[in-house]
Amino acid sequence: MRKMIAKRLGLMVVMLLGLAVITFTVANVAPGDPARLAAGPDASADMVEEIRVERGFDRPLPIRFGIYLGQLVQGDLGTSVYTGRPVLQDVAQFLPATVELVLFSIFIAILLGVPLGVLAAVFQNRVPDHAIRLLSVSGVALPMFWLGLMLQWYLALDLGWFPLGGRLGIFDDVPPKITGMITFDALLAGDPATAGAALWHMILPAAALSFPALAAIIRVNRAEMLEVLGRDYVTNARAQGIGPFRIIAVYSLKNAILPTLAMIGLRFGWMLGGTVLVEGVFDFPGIGLYAAKAAISSDFEPIMAVTLILGAAFMLTNLVIDLAYAALDPRVRNQI
Amino acid sequence: MTFARLTSALAMVAALAVAAPASAVEKQDGKFWMVIGGRQAVSHVDPGQSYDYAIRMMTQALYDGLVKYTGNPPEVQPWLATDWETSEDGLTWTFHLAPDATFHNGDPVTAEAVVYSYQRVLEMNEGVAWMLSDVLQAENIKALDEGTVEFTLDRPYAPFLSFLPWWFIVNPAQVEANVVDGDFGKAWLTEHEAGSGPYSLEKFDQGTSYWLKRNPDYWKGFPYDNDDMGGIIYRLIRESSSQRAGLISGEADLVTDLTPEELQVVGARPDIETTSTPALTSFGLKMNTQGEYTSDLNLRKAIAYAFDYDTFVQVYNGNATLQTSPFTDAIRGKVDIDMPRQDMEKAKEYLAQSAWPEGGITLEYVYVQSLEQQRQMGLSLLNSLKELNIELEMVPLTWPNMVARAGDVEQSPDLMAIFSTPVSTDPDAVAIQYHPNSHGKYYGSHFLDDAELNGMIEEARKLSDWDERAPIYAEIQQRIADLQPEIFGMMRERQFAYRTYVHGYEDSPIRMTGEVDLYPLFIQP
Repeated sequence: MRKMIAKRLGLMVVMLLGLAVITFTVANVAPGDPARLAAGPDASADMVEEIRVERGFDRPLPIRFGIYLGQLVQGDLGTSVYTGRPVLQDVAQFLPATVELVLFSIFIAILLGVPLGVLAAVFQNRVPDHAIRLLSVSGVALPMFWLGLMLQWYLALDLGWFPLGGRLGIFDDVPPKITGMITFDALLAGDPATAGAALWHMILPAAALSFPALAAIIRVNRAEMLEVLGRDYVTNARAQGIGPFRIIAVYSLKNAILPTLAMIGLRFGWMLGGTVLVEGVFDFPGIGLYAAKAAISSDFEPIMAVTLILGAAFMLTNLVIDLAYAALDPRVRNQI
Repeated sequence: MTFARLTSALAMVAALAVAAPASAVEKQDGKFWMVIGGRQAVSHVDPGQSYDYAIRMMTQALYDGLVKYTGNPPEVQPWLATDWETSEDGLTWTFHLAPDATFHNGDPVTAEAVVYSYQRVLEMNEGVAWMLSDVLQAENIKALDEGTVEFTLDRPYAPFLSFLPWWFIVNPAQVEANVVDGDFGKAWLTEHEAGSGPYSLEKFDQGTSYWLKRNPDYWKGFPYDNDDMGGIIYRLIRESSSQRAGLISGEADLVTDLTPEELQVVGARPDIETTSTPALTSFGLKMNTQGEYTSDLNLRKAIAYAFDYDTFVQVYNGNATLQTSPFTDAIRGKVDIDMPRQDMEKAKEYLAQSAWPEGGITLEYVYVQSLEQQRQMGLSLLNSLKELNIELEMVPLTWPNMVARAGDVEQSPDLMAIFSTPVSTDPDAVAIQYHPNSHGKYYGSHFLDDAELNGMIEEARKLSDWDERAPIYAEIQQRIADLQPEIFGMMRERQFAYRTYVHGYEDSPIRMTGEVDLYPLFIQP
């Protein structure tokens, strides 16, 4: 097992290097002039050139890449042209917000998706199954952005049940920063009211963000459960008079959950990189908005940093899922 | 903590949220804090670095300039400088400072501070430096005594005073204490301030909100008798629909740059005021006068006469005014010119005199990919040009890519949709956009280079007597119109909405799209 983890981590470094080469090349050969953008709209040609030299944009691409890698191994992610701050500082501010939102969203998706998938399978082609199918098809079909706007408009503005956006109320005190995730930081500071307020602010964005994942989890879990429920050992268990809850929740779900688990891992990675629309609607200051602004501004060092971090997160998540596979399935464990 | 306690805390917060809809008219420590919802983040608050509307709105509240633009039409008013005089040759400008002006830390605003601030920007060569760097050397700014500062220009430069409102004075002691590796204090000034303005920086929460605390002891005082204002929070609300929701719910007190549709919706409510007024900003479709096709003046004229100008106004629900000169209305010396309006007969006549009398060509129209209005203008143009047997290829691009293409004469497209906001009401600020000095900048994507026009622009900016300048600018406007480097479009109105308890809003066309002068604003429920 340890050998496998070490091998996968080694492979991750190679993959990240490949990702860095591709992202660096794409970010730099794409049209756009970061020096001109940094200088401002009215800047004269010599002002633009000064900034180009100061930021090293005038150097050949391979040299710039070498310098960038040198910085990277020292933990220096560069400086954002747009915010004027070290990228590390920006990422430390914005990434925890997104991680917190995605964790909450995936939690909602699992919490609702797995039982609904089971329910749909157990009541195959009956009213609950049809109702759940409607939900899962909507989750696949509805654009996240639109759903976010609707939730905001009806539940926050019309009914006033939820805040319109942000991570906390504008005048709320932010707990001392430890993880950067307000819910956890507030709990660590012994302030459950602020933790509750942070969760309350996340409900609508998390609902919008989790809906596609919820739909996918329902569909996959339903299909897997249907297959498992038709197997001989389930029929045998029924014949032995074992209660339906035990058959479904213990014997069947454990076997049906594996593909769902793999899908959750993939979804987690996608959600980390795909929060920008929801963050935009709910003004949730996360890494998605930061990355989108960097991309629009040709601000290449933040683009590089976010791509590498999300790439690493994606790879790590997959590693964790593989380990979870092994923990749940002895056949997989024996192969490692 | 037990699960039950967490659940009860959540329930308590939920109950509070449901029971009390959020309202921004809240007192913090007994004072009102006004929440302004804007879409653009403030990347820094250094008056010496690059600027956009959000940065300028902040820096103008934190710092003072020698003079300030106020009113409509915008006029340059004394501010830190109580008065000034100019030498007869127009080279020497002497400013006398208000004796009671102080920085936020209590230091007096002296002539040395003015010299330091101007020299800092000129030496950094960033931000507003371009406005004066051609005519003012750092060593030619001198403090004559504690309250008098003298600028000696390299040559007479009539627009000099009109640029000074955007040059803000920093406290040298505070900046110098925070210089790292000769960076002019740029890193520190990104999220800190060293100003003397009506507000001080309370909190800089990048990507979320920026807090300005009202300075009740502001040396110039405030234009209202109300000590209840605690400060202003500029809060990022990135979607127009969320801005609208924020304003209606009361989570924001004033929102900037709403779309025309959103403005209509909130304008119907009794608790919300809206304003829609023409700006200095002009919008046009710039034509590359050195491009393969559009270098032909007759073709440019044909395109200009083919365009349906009503489109400009319709796409903004009527909140736009057609230009009647290459200069927008608030520019000094603007005269009405006989501008092209849709006339297909004339368009065909011009096309017949061009190198492509039968049409049969394809032109490229580049616009900002997220702006629906610019797409609609392209569709209108496409429709009009069909009658001339000219095809139009519509190419949406991101703004950085547009800027990159606009900067290179070989890549600049046949037509490019461009908004342009002059930073001063002096006619030179617009005229220079049609001079080779502007080649390489996004608004110079026409690459116009006309010797007669260039000569007039260069001559007019050297004269200090307005009576001599005015007729030249009238000729300049006519000449630019004759050369048709763009389909001259419209002045889009600046649109704001605010709760009725917000008072003091002053419109001035000099301000950029989403920019508000924060100084006179206050809350009175």
